[in-house]
Amino acid sequence: MTTSTPAIRARGLSKHYGEGNTLVRALKEASFEMYPGEVVALLGPSGSGKSTLLTIMGLINQPDTGWLEIGGEEIMQDGRVVADANLFRRRKLGFVFQRSNLIPFLTAEENVRLVLELDDMPRRDAARRAREMMESLGVADRGSHLPTKLSGGQQQRVAIARALVHRPSLLLADEPTASLDKELGRQVMNLFRTAATQRGAAVLVVTHDHRSLDLVHRIFEIEDGVLDTSAARGASGETRRE
Amino acid sequence: MNLAVRDVRQDLGRFSLTVVGLGLLLTVVLAMTGIYNGIVDDATALPDRLDADLWIVQRDTRGPFAELSRISGDLEERARVVPGVAHARSYVSHTIQRETPQDKPIRFTCLGLSWPDDRGEGLGIVEGRPIAQPHYEFLVDRSLGLGLGEKIVLGRDTYTVVGITEGMMSSGGDSAAFFTLSDAQRIQNDSPNEAIRLDREARFERVRDSEFARDPELVRFSANPAALIPSLGPVPISAVMVNLLPGVDAQSVRERFKAWRDVSVYTVAEQHQLILGGMVEKTRRQIGLFRAILVIISTIVMGLIIYTMTVDKMHSIALLKLLGARTSVILGMILQESLLLGGSAYVIAIVLGDSLFEMFPRRVVIENEHRISLLILVVLISVVSSVFGIRKALAADPNEVLSG
Repeated sequence: MTTSTPAIRARGLSKHYGEGNTLVRALKEASFEMYPGEVVALLGPSGSGKSTLLTIMGLINQPDTGWLEIGGEEIMQDGRVVADANLFRRRKLGFVFQRSNLIPFLTAEENVRLVLELDDMPRRDAARRAREMMESLGVADRGSHLPTKLSGGQQQRVAIARALVHRPSLLLADEPTASLDKELGRQVMNLFRTAATQRGAAVLVVTHDHRSLDLVHRIFEIEDGVLDTSAARGASGETRRE
Repeated sequence: MNLAVRDVRQDLGRFSLTVVGLGLLLTVVLAMTGIYNGIVDDATALPDRLDADLWIVQRDTRGPFAELSRISGDLEERARVVPGVAHARSYVSHTIQRETPQDKPIRFTCLGLSWPDDRGEGLGIVEGRPIAQPHYEFLVDRSLGLGLGEKIVLGRDTYTVVGITEGMMSSGGDSAAFFTLSDAQRIQNDSPNEAIRLDREARFERVRDSEFARDPELVRFSANPAALIPSLGPVPISAVMVNLLPGVDAQSVRERFKAWRDVSVYTVAEQHQLILGGMVEKTRRQIGLFRAILVIISTIVMGLIIYTMTVDKMHSIALLKLLGARTSVILGMILQESLLLGGSAYVIAIVLGDSLFEMFPRRVVIENEHRISLLILVVLISVVSSVFGIRKALAADPNEVLSG
C-alpha cells in the first residue's frame, strides 16, 4: 500500500492572524509526514486550524515559519514558497471540496480535461486521459453533460476525476462527504482509497464525518492550532509508521 | 480549450442580446461616419463633376457654394476672351421646393447650363439624353425620384425630364436639376403677374416724378418689361466656370482674372477648402462629438457587460487560480470574451449598415477604410472594456473556493 519514502514532509509550520489583542495563532509548529498511497483524515472542531493547514498545504496561504516538501520537492523554506506555486498546484496537487466546484460552463469531460490542458498537454492526449479517468470512476457516459445535469454523486465523482487526472502527489480534500448521504460518502472515501493505492498519491481529508473514518489509514487531530499526529492508528485498523 | 467560447456558449441568449444591442450602437457610430462622408461627398460633388479649372465669383465672397455670389451676366463673355481660356460657362443655382402632380413634395437645386455650349453631356447621364432644346427640358439626379418624361410646372412653364444623372447633389444635400441657363434664370426670377405690373408701374412713376420726365418718350419707355430696358443690364449670375486650354499655366490665367477688381477667382481645390472649412466644418465637429459620445457609451456599456460577466464567474476564476491556471489564461479568457463581444457586434453593425443605410434620406457613404477604422476602434474599445473585468478577476482569491 505504501512506501517508506514520505510523499509529504512538513516541519514547524506556523501561522498567526492579527496582532496584539486580536492575535490568533491558527497553526503552531505543525510537523508531520504522509506517505504515497496513504489516506489521512484531519479532524478538529471549527476554528481549530484545519483550513489554515489545508491552505498552506495547497500553497494558497503562506505560513509564518516552517518547511514543506511535497513529492520530494522542497516547496517552502522559512515560511516562504520557493517554487512556482501555480506550476506546482497544476502538477502536484489535487483538490476536492465539499461542493463539487465544477466549472459550470464546462462539460464534465472538459472539467476533467481542463487541469491537463492548463499544463499544456495536447488536447487529444488530455481528452484520452480524461476519458480513462472518468471511466475508472464510472462517469464516462456523463462526459458531455454540464454539471447542472449531473446528480450530486456524479458531480463529486467528476470532481475527484479532475483532482486525480494529472496524477498529483498530494490530494487535498475539504469535507468531501459533508453534503452526501452515508452510502455516497463511503463511496467517495473508497474512491480516495483506491486512487491513493493505485496512483500512489497521499490524500489528506479534512472531515467532520466520522461515518467513514474506518476507511482512512491514519487520523490527524488538530485543536487550537496544535496538530496531533499521535493517533497513528486509523479506524480501518491498519497501521502506519511515523 | 477556449474558456471564453465555453463561457459564452453557456449563456448564449444573454450574450446574443448584448451583441445585438452593442451592434446597434456601433451601427449608429458607423452611420455617423457615413453621414459625414455623405455630406462631404455631396458638398464637393458639384465642383468636382462640373469640371472647371477656375471659378470666377463675386469679389471678396467665397463663391456660390459658401455664400451668395452675384456677378454680372456678361462676365462669361469677358472671361471667354482671356488668353488661355478654352471656354467659360455661367453658373447659377437656387433651391426649389415644389409638389409633383401626385402632391409629393420634392426639393432640388436648380442649376443653369450655358446653352448651347453646355447641354449636360459631361454630367454623366445614366438614362435619357442631354438637353436638346433651349427651353423646357431638364436633367435631374436619380435621387429626386423623377423618371424620364415626367413633367413639372415651375413658374409659368412646364418642364420635362429628358435625362437622369447620378450622385449630383448640392452642398446642402439636395438633388441637382440642370436647366438651360435662361430657363434657370427664368425659374429663379419668376414673379406673379401682379408683382410685375406693380414693379413696372412703380418704375414708371419714379421716372415720371424725376428730371427724366422732361422726355415723355423716356417715361413711356420706362414702363416696358425689365428685359427690354438695356440700362437695367442682364440678369446676374452666381459664378463663371472657366476651362483652360491644354498646357496653359493656370496660375498665369488666374493672375489675370485677379487683376479684375470686380471678381475673385478660385481653383477647384480652393473651392473644396472653402466648402469643407465653412459649412461642413461645423457639421464635422458636431458629428465628431456625437461619435465620441457614442464611442464612450459603447465602451462603458461593454465594460459593464464584461465586468458583470466576470463577476458572475468569480467563483470559477478563483477555482482556476486554485487549479494552477496561469494569470494569462484567466486574463486571456476575459479579453477574448470582450473581443468576441466587440467582434460580433461589429459584424452586426456592418451587416445592418449595408442593408439599412440605403434607406436613409441623406446619403451615407461607407468605404472599406471606414469599416477598417471601425474595426480598429472596436478592438480598442474591447481591450479598454476588458480592463474592468480583468481588475476584478485579478482580485479573485482561491481561498473563496475553500471557504465554500
